[in-house]
Amino acid sequence: MVEAELERFTLGDIQAFETLFQEYQGEVYGWIIRIVHDSGTAEDLTIETFWRIYRARARFDPCRPFGAWARRIATNLALEHLSRRRRERPLDSSPIGAPGTGTPDPAIRADVYSKVLAAFDELPAKLRVTARLAMIEERPYAEIADALGISTNGVKSRVFRAIRRLRKSLEKRGVRP
Amino acid sequence: MNEQDEALKQVLQRAAPGPTDCELKRDLWPEMRQRLDRPPVQISWGDWALAAALLLCLLLFPESIPAVLYLL
Repeated sequence: MVEAELERFTLGDIQAFETLFQEYQGEVYGWIIRIVHDSGTAEDLTIETFWRIYRARARFDPCRPFGAWARRIATNLALEHLSRRRRERPLDSSPIGAPGTGTPDPAIRADVYSKVLAAFDELPAKLRVTARLAMIEERPYAEIADALGISTNGVKSRVFRAIRRLRKSLEKRGVRP
Repeated sequence: MNEQDEALKQVLQRAAPGPTDCELKRDLWPEMRQRLDRPPVQISWGDWALAAALLLCLLLFPESIPAVLYLL
């Protein structure tokens, strides 16, 4: 994206905004779906993200990367969404078979997974999103930090707290991973 | 991450797998365009006048507040 185009976008040029939208809608959607796990919600939040981007265009500095800014707005929106809706419904809610986990009985394995999922869903939205991006999606800490608007150490701290809470919650449920 | 954390991570990845498809399947621009073209919500002068009158009433007759709250 040329800086001049970004400059035009900040001035409210709708064509420049469309160019940006076409270039980044896939990236923003891909980021949001990793957090919310629902394609319909991810589409709605992608549009909402760009709506907020458009409204905040005057505050955007064309010298800074647009993608990172968009991702931060998208993350905040996804967090708001998860905070509103405590229970997260994954696209594929049935746990994947896990060969070699040491639990041969599929029924026991499914029970363990459902307890893990329940414990994970109980985490506060901020911890859940950080843990999901770091532990499930395995995104780099620097990228997560940028999207959440916190430091890399902040990400590490949230992951640590999420693990501690998860472990406590699982112990209460009789699971010791 | 220590070994125990790594084990928890593995279990978590199996229990709550990420979406298998993160690709956007369609162009969202038409919906974005609709959103941009939607006229902003405008509050008419009549509504402002009504709100001001109600506020004035509540200030002058505070005993009416419970009745107004009940009606709301």
